[in-house]
Amino acid sequence: MTDNKIENGGFEDFAVREHRSLWLDAWRRLVANKTAMIGLIVVVVFILSATGAHFFWEYEARADLDYNKKLLAPTILATEEAPEIHLFGTDKLGRDIFRRTVHGGWNSLRVGLVAVGISLSIGGILGLLSGFFESINMNFRESLALMTLMGAGLGSLPAWIARQPMQILLFAGLGVASVLYDRYLVDRKSPRQLYFAILGTLIGGIAGILVGFWVAFVCAILGLLIGLILARPVGGKIFSSIVMRAMDIILSFPSYLLAIAIVAFLGPGLEKGMIAIGVVGIPVYARLARSAVLSVSQKEYVLASQSVGESHGRILFRHILPNILSPIIVQSTMGLANAILSAAALGFLGLGAIPPEPEWGAMLGDSYKYLSSGAWWAVLFPGLAIVFSVLGFNLLGDGLRDALDPKIRA
Amino acid sequence: MGRYILRRLISVIPTLIGVTLVIFLFQRLIPGDPAVAMLGEHATEENVARIREQFGLNRPAFLDRDALAEGDLTGFFDSQYIRYFRRLVHLDLGDSIHRRIPVAETLKERFPATLELSLLSMFFALIIGIPAGIASASRRNSTVDGVTMVGSLIGVSMPIFWLGIMFIMLFSVFLKWLPSGARLSTGVEIQTITNLLLLDSLLTGNFAGFVDALKHIIMPAVALATIPAAIITRMTRSSMLDVLQEDYIRTASAKGLAERVVLFRHALKNAFLPVITIIGIQAGTLLAGAVLTETIFSWPGIGKWVYDAILGRDYPIVQGVTLLIALIFLLVNLAVDLSYAILDPRITYD
Repeated sequence: MTDNKIENGGFEDFAVREHRSLWLDAWRRLVANKTAMIGLIVVVVFILSATGAHFFWEYEARADLDYNKKLLAPTILATEEAPEIHLFGTDKLGRDIFRRTVHGGWNSLRVGLVAVGISLSIGGILGLLSGFFESINMNFRESLALMTLMGAGLGSLPAWIARQPMQILLFAGLGVASVLYDRYLVDRKSPRQLYFAILGTLIGGIAGILVGFWVAFVCAILGLLIGLILARPVGGKIFSSIVMRAMDIILSFPSYLLAIAIVAFLGPGLEKGMIAIGVVGIPVYARLARSAVLSVSQKEYVLASQSVGESHGRILFRHILPNILSPIIVQSTMGLANAILSAAALGFLGLGAIPPEPEWGAMLGDSYKYLSSGAWWAVLFPGLAIVFSVLGFNLLGDGLRDALDPKIRA
Repeated sequence: MGRYILRRLISVIPTLIGVTLVIFLFQRLIPGDPAVAMLGEHATEENVARIREQFGLNRPAFLDRDALAEGDLTGFFDSQYIRYFRRLVHLDLGDSIHRRIPVAETLKERFPATLELSLLSMFFALIIGIPAGIASASRRNSTVDGVTMVGSLIGVSMPIFWLGIMFIMLFSVFLKWLPSGARLSTGVEIQTITNLLLLDSLLTGNFAGFVDALKHIIMPAVALATIPAAIITRMTRSSMLDVLQEDYIRTASAKGLAERVVLFRHALKNAFLPVITIIGIQAGTLLAGAVLTETIFSWPGIGKWVYDAILGRDYPIVQGVTLLIALIFLLVNLAVDLSYAILDPRITYD
């Protein structure tokens, strides 16, 4: 007798709706969306074929060479003259393009995941912290940590000039003093700027005297400036604006160009391409995370958890992070599409994967030079592979946005 | 307003200094000695030392603490970065390593080609993107909307270098309608005024030249316009959809205004702000995308040039072009910010 009615004490609960989590709800909306499902299918096929090829379909790029099969047109059926089937034809070195295209997927997938991983982890954390401290005041410990770091960071310049590592510690101490001053000496009228300027000058100058007059002079001036900067504990707003300004600098390089420049200077290679594409993507995630945190942190549940005295770590990870996940998931999906596209562009320019390695962009770059020979298959299929995988991630991302967007949720 | 412009202009300066710092750091990250790169592998040691001295490569990167310790205050600031920065202020971008020609000179020669290509692409992107976005927003969930949205997603997913190759294959190799590279056919002359060939040929009344220039530019411009057109379409659509839900739009339709008037007079004006922002961002993307398009179409602009320089490890060129594009990008975004104030009187700056 495991009937529901008995367990519920003889009553059937009509009023209680079936429990549905937010994610299940989003999943159902996603399934109902036809274009998103097409995207999901494309993405799944792409991932399965790429990983499957990598692990179960052996391919030795270096040994793959047969001039006898150079530039064969695509064939579907085996015939007398062409006993081997080349679905996508062969390239100028007689390599089967179908095989290389499938294997190329693994490289694109790898680049996409690593690049998005780099941008997401660095950009996401920077954005999360700057958004959080922009809207919520730092507590004593956080302020202490930030000011110690700032003191040490700024102090390292005079310390480097005067070759006195001690100065780093002294300036860090000045940062600590600034926070302690706020907490324990609440005498607001005292000229604290003056105190800190004098202290900074002394710390900078004294260590410099051991080396020479001009060193002492320069270090004292630097110390004076650092003292003035450290006089008041830096608030979260300033922290945030420093981070965002750094992001602006990265953003002021158009993305392709920065990636190309980074690879140009690091030297070609798939791994360097991943780093370049990842670095270029950092500001996007930082800005997104920051603005999402800013909008969430004014919500009642965050104010409530603040007023009951929950720790900042708990507010950040239990209350804010889960609520900003959806825009970040959407951006990451679209970011994968972008990373695949950028990787192909780098490969095409000869700055991505190193030659015999199968990579879609590099395959195009190899083949387009003998376009006039009419070998359309050598450029058509790798290009289609790029378009389909990128389109798949974009369709999925678009669908995810609709599924996760609270505005259209009834 | 005047003070706002001034403040915005000043706020570009730290970013710009940061940009020069990043570009300079790239130079430091190059593996190997630039002096050896200039002279080749078999250079004598004296020659390498002379070049290092001549280009200041023997100076420290940022600040010379040894000079300061010896009491030399000016020597303290005599570093590679500060020399580089001082040269930049005098608009000296250095000389190309291989051809020994000032980078700034070649830049002046080649930039108009890229500018012409980018401007025409932006023009195409706008005349496709904005009407498509409006049509799709005003007939939401219709077939037009569906086709536009799928089309724009395909556009966003398009690798432009591949599209360019496909264009060449179709129109140059198979159909032989259009030339596959260069700005003009050999033998066609256009008197240069602005070095924008389309404009110059019109100004001088050279119709044959205009047609020839147009035949050469059309493929790269359309290929380059694909992604911006798709992005502008999507932005126009979503921005229009937001505005079309406003009360004043309902009022305007209710009082019997023609749909055309409601769409263009009432809605478009108000939906334009986010579109302008995206146009500004796309301007930078166009310049950077030129590296790919120009490489495929052998377009003699800065994109092709910087690509060759990257392969040839000619760093002054790479640095100069990167700096120029970053500068243009910053200025375009500044102009976008300023245009807000003109387009939307509600925004005040104080």
